[in-house]
Amino acid sequence: MIVCVAVVGHQNNPLYIQSFTDADDALKLHHIVHCSLDVIEERVNNPKRSGTTLNEAFLGLLYPTVNYKVYGYLTNTKVKFILVTTDLDVRDTDVRSFFRKFHAAYVDAVSNPFHVPGKKITSRTFAQTVSNIVGSYGLN
Amino acid sequence: MIGTSTRLPAIQRLVEIKTIAELLHFKISTLLLHGGKLIEAVTWFHQHKASYEKVVGSTEFIFLHWDWMSRQFLVFAELLETSSATAQGFSSLNQGTAEISLTEFEFYPAYYYQLAAQYLKDKKCALELLLSMSETAQEINSCSESITPSGYVGQFAQLLEKGEGEALTFHSITDEEYTRYTISEAKRFQDSFEIIAWLKRSYESFTNLKAGRMAARCAFEVGREYFDLADPNNAKKYFDIAANFYRQEGWVTLLWEVLGYLRECSRNLGALKDFVELSLEMVVLPVTSYDDSGNLKNKNYGPGGPATFSGRESIHQEIFTLLCREAELLSSIGGNGFKLATDSPLHLEIDLVSPLRPVLLASVAFHEQIIKPHAMCSITLSLLSHLPLPVEIDHLEVQFNQSMCNFVIRNSQRPLWATSSNTVQSGSQVENEPSLVLVPNNWLRLTYAINSEQSGKLECLSVLAKLGPLFTISSRAESPAAMEDLSVWKHENRVESLPTKDPVLAVFGQKATQVDELEPQVDVSLGASGPALVGEDFTLPIVVTSKGHAVYNGELKINLVDVGGGGLFSPRETEPFSLESHHVEICGIDGAEGNDESESETGNIKKIQQSFGLVSVPDLKEGESWSCKLEIKWHRPKPVMLFVSLGYLPHGSEDNTQKVHIHKSLQIEGKMPLLISSQFMLPYRRDHLLLNKIKPAPDSEDMSSLPLNEKSVLVVRAKNCSEIALKLVSMSIELDDKQGETSCLIHQGGGCGDSPSSANLAPGEEFKKVFTVIPITRTSKLDLGSVHLKWRRQGSNITEACVLTKHKLPEVIVEASPLVMNLSCPPYAILGEPFTCAVRICNQTQLLQEAKFALADAQSFVLSGSHSNTISVLPKSEHVLSYKLVPLTCGEQQLPKITLTSARYSAEFQPSAVASSVFVLPSASHAKKTNSTVK
Repeated sequence: MIVCVAVVGHQNNPLYIQSFTDADDALKLHHIVHCSLDVIEERVNNPKRSGTTLNEAFLGLLYPTVNYKVYGYLTNTKVKFILVTTDLDVRDTDVRSFFRKFHAAYVDAVSNPFHVPGKKITSRTFAQTVSNIVGSYGLN
Repeated sequence: MIGTSTRLPAIQRLVEIKTIAELLHFKISTLLLHGGKLIEAVTWFHQHKASYEKVVGSTEFIFLHWDWMSRQFLVFAELLETSSATAQGFSSLNQGTAEISLTEFEFYPAYYYQLAAQYLKDKKCALELLLSMSETAQEINSCSESITPSGYVGQFAQLLEKGEGEALTFHSITDEEYTRYTISEAKRFQDSFEIIAWLKRSYESFTNLKAGRMAARCAFEVGREYFDLADPNNAKKYFDIAANFYRQEGWVTLLWEVLGYLRECSRNLGALKDFVELSLEMVVLPVTSYDDSGNLKNKNYGPGGPATFSGRESIHQEIFTLLCREAELLSSIGGNGFKLATDSPLHLEIDLVSPLRPVLLASVAFHEQIIKPHAMCSITLSLLSHLPLPVEIDHLEVQFNQSMCNFVIRNSQRPLWATSSNTVQSGSQVENEPSLVLVPNNWLRLTYAINSEQSGKLECLSVLAKLGPLFTISSRAESPAAMEDLSVWKHENRVESLPTKDPVLAVFGQKATQVDELEPQVDVSLGASGPALVGEDFTLPIVVTSKGHAVYNGELKINLVDVGGGGLFSPRETEPFSLESHHVEICGIDGAEGNDESESETGNIKKIQQSFGLVSVPDLKEGESWSCKLEIKWHRPKPVMLFVSLGYLPHGSEDNTQKVHIHKSLQIEGKMPLLISSQFMLPYRRDHLLLNKIKPAPDSEDMSSLPLNEKSVLVVRAKNCSEIALKLVSMSIELDDKQGETSCLIHQGGGCGDSPSSANLAPGEEFKKVFTVIPITRTSKLDLGSVHLKWRRQGSNITEACVLTKHKLPEVIVEASPLVMNLSCPPYAILGEPFTCAVRICNQTQLLQEAKFALADAQSFVLSGSHSNTISVLPKSEHVLSYKLVPLTCGEQQLPKITLTSARYSAEFQPSAVASSVFVLPSASHAKKTNSTVK
């Protein structure tokens, strides 16, 4: 189950963060999302060491914590998407397809002429789309 | 004993299994790490963890499981830290081959320390919960003393003494006994200190890895542990680290949480200023969620409460009731435990990087960029606050760099506080406003007129707001043009308005303006007459005339600046002219006319450098004038800009008045006065075979050759190329050194006595002087010295010194000519009358010279004599070729041209065309006339 998704701006400022669980402390999820930015930075700065290919937006598993696994995705505008899940056995393809849908939703949201780039995403439609994507995650 | 089970009771059995697993894991990990197999070791640890993390055992005693898990992480962290494998790094790491994908941070011990601390924290919570529930806490202590860890791994037993003096026996214990024992053991441990120690280690490690966010989180956790231990000092230290990081990245929810803790720490420490600052920072955070649960569905809030809009409002109210109480209530102690004494006012400074900047943002814009002294100028003051509730200001003080301009804006609804501030002087401007209320996210715009008496920069420094009797906030003034976004608010979606209504002012407004100087009422005139000439001392009168202002402490600054740029100093020519590197320099400033020398020198400053001069001007009353003469010398023709500025005080005694400045400039052209050229002429109708002319030596192409011991003529011309009439005083050739004197003789030509010692030269006129040169030494480089020309401007005083201009003459080659051809011919011829013309070929060598000559026919003459032949000229003798010629046409006629070729030197030479011509007169009567006129 996905417990939290986040969009982080290129200055590492949160643009959108939403948790989907009542079970755990949401602040803890904020902490996890924030810490995972360190891993993204490390992976982007040392692409060879981590073995990921340069041209891929999907960053894979960022780091496992006690109860969660964190996945990351980096767009070409240096906006990061972060996914926190409780599933221990995660299929890579599921995560990839999730991020692809999420990216599309994000692009739609920021294409809104009334959205100012770099500002937080407050669109309700985006929130709705994201919760739909989260709900459909792992069903197929 | 058959049939009796050796199985331990459930809890103890699990403990035994885990203990053995731990031991095995420890051995395997040690071996793997020792062998440098880092990936295998980490993978093994994952398997180990995955196999046992679900084996929780009894949920009542879950703390045992957390304790065990924590130990696994700690042990692995320590192993990883001490093993040499980590030192190698994981360059060989390849995720593709590993069964479980591993991430970067799983190779760092910091990761495991952090998780060990987290599990230990779980254990601590579980244990506390268990202890609070168990009413049998007291009895636990009683029977646990005798339980010892047994010799068997993971098996505990009770040591019982049976009777007196009998052997000790081990007795297996029940689960109940065991748990009592473990609880009592666990109680003895101070888990918090362990957690702190591990988290600190993790924090340091992450900091070294430059993983700032992980480190910040560890710092936050450390702070939280200290906070739980009621150690606010240490807690504050670590919370500050975390808060600084979250501030930078604008993680508002995390920042809110940390600030909440920090606020509690400062409350516990009794630090009022910190408490107020932290509270205000929390209040102005962009937390805009109205929902009570907020974005964070967090049940256990930190001490800061939920991050919601209502949370901000409640802190705002708390802090402002604490700070803005009326004077009477000050003695009573507030509910927060802070005492506010009347003699300890609280003052907050907000600068450009302060996190409190959103509390009071002051933008100040002058409407004019330059203002006149004593004239009123509008200034707009715009204040913005992000506080969630409106705030009423008692009064505002606007402070400038010129303290005379400071002014106060009073809120007329508030009583006047007796205590006046020390920054605003009494008698300064006071403005009244019907209300001064800062509404959240709305600019409060105030426009006033101020005036300044002092010239120079007028800049608004800060705006001080007084809220209540003891609380003041001073905010640094900012220009609207250079205002930066608020770091935490810039990512928020909100309506942004301009600080001033005028959009131009909002974009280009500045917090500083320039106050002009007083209008100068003194005239400075520079009287230059025409261009300056190179070499002379050019004098330039400067006249200072007072026209309404008296002059006190006057100072005249003089500057010479090259018009073409690049200064008066050209680097290319520095080496040969190092002594006079300045092409134009100030030689001196002549003292004032009508000013006694003795008086002027006492207090006067007089500094002169090559391109800069400073003269003090004596005190002048109204209407008086003073003048001085500036002497400038040009070494090169060059246009120069002269800047003269006079600074003076219009009133003598007052200290605070500022100097008034007048600037004048003048471009002066420096020109070459005379153009000197020289020319050599060989003797008339006497041609020398100069071998160097025919086959020039490689390094003497441009040099002219002179025959040895022959009288050559040197014509020196001096042309006045300026626009000024000059008087030439003398012209002479001076040999530079003694070597020159012995190698050649130079005489003033043209006979003696008739050479004019002085001549007047109008612009464009040329003066010529003839010298004779007789070289007496054979040399390839004869230095003829230089022409010394003395001149002065026409019409100037005779007493004035002449200017000496030197012109170096070109070097010449002196050589002996082997053959000389002399053409002897009458000065004129008469049409139809024959005359004789002889060509003498003179051999000056000791050798026999064979020469071939050829005569070309001329149309205007009938010629008799040999046309071409080869002749031999004996050493030191001459051969004469004689011709009879009859002229056929009148006028200047070219004689038949003779070409002589020397066989020995295979050189051919001809007399010059000018020398070999003759004038043919139409009749003898003409010849008589000519003769008479010549006489």
